[in-house]
Amino acid sequence: MSFFGFEEKTLERGRDNRRLGQDEDLAVYDWGEENYDGLGDALQEDHDDFNDETFGGAGDVGLAIGKDFDFSTPALPDRDRKDFARLPITRAEERPPHSEPNIATPLALESIWDDKSAFSMRLNGSNRTSSSPFLPRGESPAVSSQHRQQSGIRTLQEIEAEMRASVEQSRQEALLQQRQQQYYLEQRLLQKQREEEELLRQEEEREYQRQRLLYQQEQAQQQLQLQRLQQQQLLHQRDQHQHRRTPPPRMLPVSQSPRFMEHQQRQILYLQQQQEQQQLLRLQQLEEQLRIEEMERQLRSQHISSAPPDRQPSGPTLADMEALQHQQLQERLRQRSQSPATRPGSHRPAPLEDTLPYLPQSIQLQQRLLSEMAQAELLREIQGLSQIDQEALRVEAMRKILEAEKMEEKRRRKASKIAHMSRYNDLMTQSDKDFITRIQVSQLVSQDPYADDFYAQVYGAIVRSRMGLSTDDERVLKFGASGGVALGAPTKGGNRRPNAMQRMQQQVERIVSNARKREEEKGLHCNLQGALGKTSGRSYKAAPRQLLQVDSGSAPSSSPTLSHAQPHAHISKADSISKSSDAAANAARMGRETLSNGNNGEELVRMEPLTQREILVTLENMYDLVLNVEQLRRDQPMPEEGEEVLEQWRKDFDTLVDKMWTLLKVMLPLGTSTPHPFISLLSAAKGKKILPRVTRHFDQHRMNTLLTLLIACFSQLDVISQAALLDTLEDTPERADVERQTQAFLSSVLQSILPIIVKGNLRLVCGLVGLLMHGQDTVAIAKSRPGLALLTLFLTRVEVIKQGEVDEIPTHEDFAQWQLMFDHLFQLLTPEFPLLFPSTRMAAHLPRDQPHVNIPGIDSLDQPVWQFLAALALQASSTQHQILVSSLREKVLDNVLSAKKGWVVDEEERNTKLANVDLFLHALGLDSSQITM
Amino acid sequence: MDGSSTGIQEPLDLIRLSLSERVFVKLRGDREMTGILHAYDGHMNLILSDVEEKIMIVNEGEQATVSVAKRKMDMLFVRGDGVILVSPPSRT
Repeated sequence: MSFFGFEEKTLERGRDNRRLGQDEDLAVYDWGEENYDGLGDALQEDHDDFNDETFGGAGDVGLAIGKDFDFSTPALPDRDRKDFARLPITRAEERPPHSEPNIATPLALESIWDDKSAFSMRLNGSNRTSSSPFLPRGESPAVSSQHRQQSGIRTLQEIEAEMRASVEQSRQEALLQQRQQQYYLEQRLLQKQREEEELLRQEEEREYQRQRLLYQQEQAQQQLQLQRLQQQQLLHQRDQHQHRRTPPPRMLPVSQSPRFMEHQQRQILYLQQQQEQQQLLRLQQLEEQLRIEEMERQLRSQHISSAPPDRQPSGPTLADMEALQHQQLQERLRQRSQSPATRPGSHRPAPLEDTLPYLPQSIQLQQRLLSEMAQAELLREIQGLSQIDQEALRVEAMRKILEAEKMEEKRRRKASKIAHMSRYNDLMTQSDKDFITRIQVSQLVSQDPYADDFYAQVYGAIVRSRMGLSTDDERVLKFGASGGVALGAPTKGGNRRPNAMQRMQQQVERIVSNARKREEEKGLHCNLQGALGKTSGRSYKAAPRQLLQVDSGSAPSSSPTLSHAQPHAHISKADSISKSSDAAANAARMGRETLSNGNNGEELVRMEPLTQREILVTLENMYDLVLNVEQLRRDQPMPEEGEEVLEQWRKDFDTLVDKMWTLLKVMLPLGTSTPHPFISLLSAAKGKKILPRVTRHFDQHRMNTLLTLLIACFSQLDVISQAALLDTLEDTPERADVERQTQAFLSSVLQSILPIIVKGNLRLVCGLVGLLMHGQDTVAIAKSRPGLALLTLFLTRVEVIKQGEVDEIPTHEDFAQWQLMFDHLFQLLTPEFPLLFPSTRMAAHLPRDQPHVNIPGIDSLDQPVWQFLAALALQASSTQHQILVSSLREKVLDNVLSAKKGWVVDEEERNTKLANVDLFLHALGLDSSQITM
Repeated sequence: MDGSSTGIQEPLDLIRLSLSERVFVKLRGDREMTGILHAYDGHMNLILSDVEEKIMIVNEGEQATVSVAKRKMDMLFVRGDGVILVSPPSRT
């Protein structure tokens, strides 16, 4: 075997010399000299002479050892072991690709046909010793192909050709063997028939059976060993592979020479090649095994059929089997005691396995499975099962093998992954982990835990109230006055969380107390003040440092807003100071204005309408204030805390509400700007949305003022002035924006003024309607959804008052006043009745050629209009009824017609149409069913 | 109103004004979007709703042309490292 291109025989010889401790003082022969007489070759100093005896007839130890090495031979256990252990690695890695053709290869091939080999011995039917537990049958193709595969780089075709050849060879071999065996059997049978004594013949038969069984068992064992060997090899290689590919981070060499890398790569390449070859080999072997088994079975059946009828059943008796097993057991024991190294991986770890980092358990499992299957097959064969059954069982066995292999693969992947990860085990000590936890928790502690966790807290309160639990407990851990940790929204059940919470609480308490202690210590060290250099107050530098040091202002009261909002609180204070002086001046002017009845317009403080930015800034300040007020409400002291505290709280609260009132700019005179600043504030969606939160804190008087202003400037609202956009059909971003604003207005602004109107008396409603119609485009207002909603609100309120369901009975003057207003409104709207419907307005935008196209959802858009008309009809006189009916006749008929003639998409639309019409007709005392087509 | 009275002390305060307003966001990778701003942080991570995104795609070739791909999303989280610019949409 030439490892590094040396002449291999000398190497071998040198090793032998060294090992045997002989010929130490021999002169070194110089083979290359010219005076060399060639006698050296004749010398028997190779120590190869006894190799045949030692290694079962193979010439070269390292090569012919392949598969047919006689492990049970007791000679030189140490050396065997070493050679064996090195064998796969040697082949896989250490052999350079361009080594010289192996000299010993032909020898190994020849040994197959050698008469001295165990194989041919067995063919001759003699001397079948139980001490050689392996069979050479599967060996020849495997070994030869393995040898050939290693001699240089070859193509796939070559490999295939070789494999085919080897398969052919083995088949011929098997045929030959079969024929010979048959011949032998027949001969023997003939001979035996001739023999007179039945007992003797039985004895012979039994002997034969036992030997055959033994033979089979040995075969199974040998195959197992082969497979195991290959698996170990593979595993080992893969392991090495992995280890080289992903060294643990701490074990990475600092610098690797490029040569080393190259070497690694080459080795990896080798390993891959080797793995592929192994796989091919295994497949091949499996095929072969199947074929051999098949042939065996045929042979057996032939044998059985050829048995003479007068003979006793040829199957062995139970006693025979027991004896056989006993014998096998003993033999195995003997082998083990004789030379432990010669039985690799049978029941003790093989030499290879010793070197593995972990013992693959499932390989053992697989082995056990395989051996069990072999055993089972053996028993089955003995019992003489039918061939079909056997076939089925064999298929089953194959499936199991495949399954086991798959499982093995899976398990190995998992194990390698775990091993890969386990490199990081115990990288951190417990104190490291505690340290990090402390840092993390310390970041959670804040001065105002409730505000910092505001949204989660509010959400949690909502959830709790929905579940019917008490809503007032704040999920906040507090540590005296210094701060606390917000716990977020409550979680649903689970026993783990409370534990974690408790642990965190303890952690935080510890941290807080530690911090306090440190603070005290710092106080002790204050004599260092003024010393050169600076003392570091922080004990852990690893804590994240605050990047931005924004001056949070000197706000003494704890702000309920988010920390970044604190500057605003501060600013808004300054703001409000200037504003309050402003407001005072304005109030003075307004007073003068009202006194002079608004005649002298030059006295009016005209202002430019608020810019977009001013609106947004004001709204942000408003949000700050609202949050402040809401926090203050939450902090409302209990009556038992003393009148003084309550008084102080009330003062704070009133101050904040006053600020909001001022900020809302409601008190600015009407003509200040167009649109009025307050209306400008409502132009932003968030301005609309904040209104209910603001008005909640206002008293009745302020609300009336606000409502009056809103109604007086109603047409200035963006939702009114841009309502026409909603009638267009194409879907533009502007239209979507108006839609969004309209929704916000309906849900927020109307919602906040609704309670005042609902509670208002007839005089108020009358005044408001008058205000709405005074100097404003009432028709435009009525054509918008918010305007229509407002009008409907007024009309229904009046209807309720008329029904007498109010505390304050209005006077006749009030009624007369209202009738005046109503008639005026009716008069204004009369020519526009059909145009109040969005469907009519939209139809104007439809293309001329198809004016009757259906707009989806149009009926639900029309519904508020029908409602308004119904409310109008309730108030109207009989003449007004006639006007209503005549102007709306077409619309009503259109709806009823399309509903009854089925010009609708579905039943739902028909119902909506009819319901809409009936809503209006019922107010007139009619019904859609009375209309006949 | 001057800077101090409007409560604007740092650049991010300007973005605060645009909360729940429609904003125009320019992003790396020739992307632009408009949407209603719901939340932001110091990294300029944004949460936008009702978003329309425009992606400029330059077609290489003799006559390099620019095509615009658009898509709409109801709600979007924009990671801050891609944000170049946030502004109120230009009002027409």
